[in-house]
Amino acid sequence: MQELKRKYVIPGDKIVDGNFRPLMNVIRIGDSIISTRIGIAEAGRDGIKVIPLSGVYIPRINDIVIGKIVDRSSLSWDVDINSCFSAHLPAQDVFGRDFSPARDDMNREMATGDLITARIIAFDRTRDPMLTVQDRDLGKIPRGESLKISATRVPRLIGKRGSMIQTIEQATQTRVIIGQNGVVVVTGRSQGGIELAVKAIKMVEEEAHTSNLTQRIKVLLNVPDTTPAQPQLSQSTSSSVPAAMSATSKDISEVSPTKSELQSAPNDIQQPLRKEQQSQDKEEQEQQPSSRHHLGQEKASVSSSDGSPSSSSPTSADAISLPSSHSKSRSQDERGRKSDDQRSVAGVTGGDTRKAKTYVKGVHEGLQEHDKKEANS
Amino acid sequence: MSQTRSLIDKQGKRTDGRTVEQLREVKMAVGVVKNADGSVFIEFGKNKIIVAVYGPREVHPKHMAQSDRCVLRCRYHMSPFSTDTRKNPAPSRREVEISKVMREALEPALMLEDYPRAAIDVYVEVLQADGGSRCAGISAASVALADAGINMRDLVAACAAGKVDDKIVLDINDTEDKEGGADMPVAYMPHLDEVTLLQLDGILTRDQFNQCFDTAVEGCKMVYEIQKQALMQKYFGNETEVKEEVQ
Repeated sequence: MQELKRKYVIPGDKIVDGNFRPLMNVIRIGDSIISTRIGIAEAGRDGIKVIPLSGVYIPRINDIVIGKIVDRSSLSWDVDINSCFSAHLPAQDVFGRDFSPARDDMNREMATGDLITARIIAFDRTRDPMLTVQDRDLGKIPRGESLKISATRVPRLIGKRGSMIQTIEQATQTRVIIGQNGVVVVTGRSQGGIELAVKAIKMVEEEAHTSNLTQRIKVLLNVPDTTPAQPQLSQSTSSSVPAAMSATSKDISEVSPTKSELQSAPNDIQQPLRKEQQSQDKEEQEQQPSSRHHLGQEKASVSSSDGSPSSSSPTSADAISLPSSHSKSRSQDERGRKSDDQRSVAGVTGGDTRKAKTYVKGVHEGLQEHDKKEANS
Repeated sequence: MSQTRSLIDKQGKRTDGRTVEQLREVKMAVGVVKNADGSVFIEFGKNKIIVAVYGPREVHPKHMAQSDRCVLRCRYHMSPFSTDTRKNPAPSRREVEISKVMREALEPALMLEDYPRAAIDVYVEVLQADGGSRCAGISAASVALADAGINMRDLVAACAAGKVDDKIVLDINDTEDKEGGADMPVAYMPHLDEVTLLQLDGILTRDQFNQCFDTAVEGCKMVYEIQKQALMQKYFGNETEVKEEVQ
């Protein structure tokens, strides 16, 4: 049986003839599998799929999204999640089951205009998405600058094993929270750093499908080719970061952006690419049973490595970062958490959700620490 | 539609110098409107048209929403400066009709059932008109919908054919439309081999009809190649060649 590796397709293009299973963004017409989107067609053992390069965000259950409170009723908040469907966050989710509209003041918890990190717990063709902020690391985002990018660019912004977002965060001394709906929140102490990070994120969005993007981002951020933070990173978090995380920047840059975009893409779409990379990532692949897990792990890796480089850098006092001692203990925590996560991945979808939350938590911890510092001073 | 002068000379050339089976020059640029989810600027001969697609997005007014599918709304509009005399910017009978036929030409290609309770808006703004603007608009709208990342079964390519001096010609222009014998716009999905729009203004014999239809479909296939090239250029740059590895 012939095996198709990669193919650029537009809607209507025939990807392959034969008895293949249509997976994502493809339809079967007669004996042929036809693409329904612009993107890159791939075939794996499971079937044929197309990784789209354009499109708006369509919610899926268990997605971690960043939303904006736009309105409230007596029992729930309406949340804009950058989609054609408006999401609902029930007040009971925040106040508990004994919530009473007469007794509890919803405005006290969340007001119109607040940004929240939430998880989609229910969505189907007949009802709007329902959110929860009850899980670990979800909830209100205290501050930051938000911007929207195309949801199809989110994997590219994260980069291969978090390389892109890590580069941006380290170079600009900021923290970046990324929702799967394409909403990004940048926080940091210096306005200049935030602006630079925003500029870099927009550049990633605009040039996501071009070659050598990581290099150009490094040029924009004045980061030398051999990332100085990389050795520190592998030293401080070697126990919690997968082996692939300590790859040199050269390794990362050598991967073409399209490929790396695919590798970091969610929705179990990277299986064939994995095959191509087996020689490089054998160890890692053993640790990553599914690509949804992969996305989550990227985020977890970023969070586990975020604090450490900035804490050991000379400018850590100015940045929102964790002290080294904290970082150390966090690294240990991370290890424990990671093993928990790996167990949870054995379930169905818990893995990437929890790992994404881990990443968000890192940001929250950083901000809280920063607040404490400021209060003390 | 009475002919007052000869529109094809002795060498077989038409008023704009084309042969009977020649398409006007077509250029497409994808992603020209930043605020839109998908957009295209098309030059189809002297036609200049911008198409912007928004959606899937929330339906307003809400009562228009369909519980099982997405609502497709098309607006074809000619700018006041698009013709030689000022065109009243208010929607005319012709514009309302073209908006409707465009929607019906695009709908079969779209997988609207994938986006229930949502709406897709297609705005077709004619900046300069020279005959065949509905075909140019449909071709551009189809590419803009693909650019917006909406699930589609196929692209829709459109082209007109007609009768001029009792000859069947491809892609008639404004003069040929006004002074020729017949005008037949056709929209066609090349991969599915299905026609989504077929109009006829004029009188044709059965043989002429068949010949005219076949000519228009051939024109659609030529337009499709240009659509494909425009999309590939936007998303894959110079790597327009399909990279296929077969083991």
